Amino acid sequence: MTALQTAYEERFKQMLQPLAQRLEAQLKDTFGKHKRIDRISVRPKSIERFVAKAAKQIDGEAKYNDPLNQIQDQIGARIVTFYKSDVEEIAAEVKKYFRHIESQLIVPESEKEFGYEGQHFILFIPRDIFDDAIREEESISFFELQIKTLFQHAWSEAEHDLGYKPSASLTNDQKRRLAFTAAQAWGADQIFDELHRQLDLPSSHAAIAQ
Amino acid sequence: MELNSIHSFLVHPGRNLEEPPDINGAVVNHAGRLFDMLKKVFDNAEAECPHDIAFSADESGQQQNECRNAILAYVKKTDMTHGRLLAKRLQSVTTNRSGLGLLFLMMGAEKGETKIVVSRFPADSGILAEEREKGLSVEFLERIFMKSATSYKAAVYTGKSHDHDFWKGKAGDKQINSAESYIASYWIREFLNSDFLTPGEAGTRRFASAVRDAMNRAGDTDVKDEIASLCRLLPGMKGKVVSAKNILSHFQISAKTQDRVKASFKPDRLFDERFRFMPDELTKFIAFKTVELDNGGLLTASTDAFDSVFLREVVDPAKALVKFSTEGTIIDQRLRKTKS
Repeated sequence: MTALQTAYEERFKQMLQPLAQRLEAQLKDTFGKHKRIDRISVRPKSIERFVAKAAKQIDGEAKYNDPLNQIQDQIGARIVTFYKSDVEEIAAEVKKYFRHIESQLIVPESEKEFGYEGQHFILFIPRDIFDDAIREEESISFFELQIKTLFQHAWSEAEHDLGYKPSASLTNDQKRRLAFTAAQAWGADQIFDELHRQLDLPSSHAAIAQ
Repeated sequence: MELNSIHSFLVHPGRNLEEPPDINGAVVNHAGRLFDMLKKVFDNAEAECPHDIAFSADESGQQQNECRNAILAYVKKTDMTHGRLLAKRLQSVTTNRSGLGLLFLMMGAEKGETKIVVSRFPADSGILAEEREKGLSVEFLERIFMKSATSYKAAVYTGKSHDHDFWKGKAGDKQINSAESYIASYWIREFLNSDFLTPGEAGTRRFASAVRDAMNRAGDTDVKDEIASLCRLLPGMKGKVVSAKNILSHFQISAKTQDRVKASFKPDRLFDERFRFMPDELTKFIAFKTVELDNGGLLTASTDAFDSVFLREVVDPAKALVKFSTEGTIIDQRLRKTKS
């Protein structure tokens, strides 16, 4: 076990787990009344994933020279919504209640591709969740928040499970199949959002139709 | 922490000018009365800067901020060239209203931690009176920079990693008569390209939640009454930079009620944190629904609880006649001159 892993394990138990619990409570308090949120969850990055990320290299050189301070998603939060328009709505609310240093809508680079999609934020940890046991001055500063639809979430979970097998890399045909499922998830999101606008928000649908 | 270097720049207003005036700079010696004064500013910066701030993401949402980049560049290479970049940035947002200013960049380090204090002293004018052997000499002087500790703006940042820290800091304005909203726009938003660490909605929500909890917990009607009165006045604070503490002081709320509200702040230092007040958030937490009937009846309860407090029955739909009923013990009753 490396010194980095030992240090992260200590942080995981002493700081990240309790902070994740408090943050989840705060996110639920802030967004819990929204009608079409399927789930809000917060968890610390697992020790295995942190160690793997810390070891990443770019052009043969370590990507992080101080991973404990540089890796910003040691706590990851996720809000899963029913429809795509809910993602936009929640994202606007997030900007009201949390200070961000990054806000990115992740979509495939080319319009001819289908793959991972989601709204990502790097946010300051709200000051309300610190106390004398976990002091703000000694804590990490940021957490990552992902906002996704149910279909985006389902696709990314399965893709992560299947697409990152250490035993073998994917064949072209397997990659094509994964892209096909992403296209189906994308299509389902489009149609559900249209139906939602027509059935739940008839006035906005009429405005769009005009 | 030891103060290792001080650079100073004379910054003329340059906002919207195609060819702004040159910026002259100097290294401040580590001795003498000027150094002593600046050392105090450096040492007391955290205490003198009450506003918790954070740099903003760029317009595309990336982790890039021009002012932070300039500060990091200066931290990494502390010289006149990199200091002048910050001075130019200050000049580009400085109007004639802000006037001529003297920018000081002070940097120190200890145990792997770096601290930088950025401060701006406004120029003033004055009269120099010198007693001579045969009388008194008086002379009008311009470009006086006040020694007084109540006349400068400042920001302080500390961090260990020159690439990943320095996202948040503290800012302050000791300039007499400088409105809170002015420091927010000129110093924090425009020069530092930052905003308050706690967004207005979050700060107001926290305050509203504390006030609501204090009201719900209060056993005596004095506290409830005082909070209800406060809530009627709060919309007037729209857009102002406030803290919970100074809102309650501003409206001369009693010490007892202030203590009840403060008890709901966890950690309690958030009681002092500044944010921009957003009244809409208040009404989400503290709202009263009142129904007035044509027989003179007036029913009031918190919006959340109204329908469970008052049972509504339709007596005659054709006449829109309704009957409300409720049950409880009387804890207070009074006569009022007005409905509100």
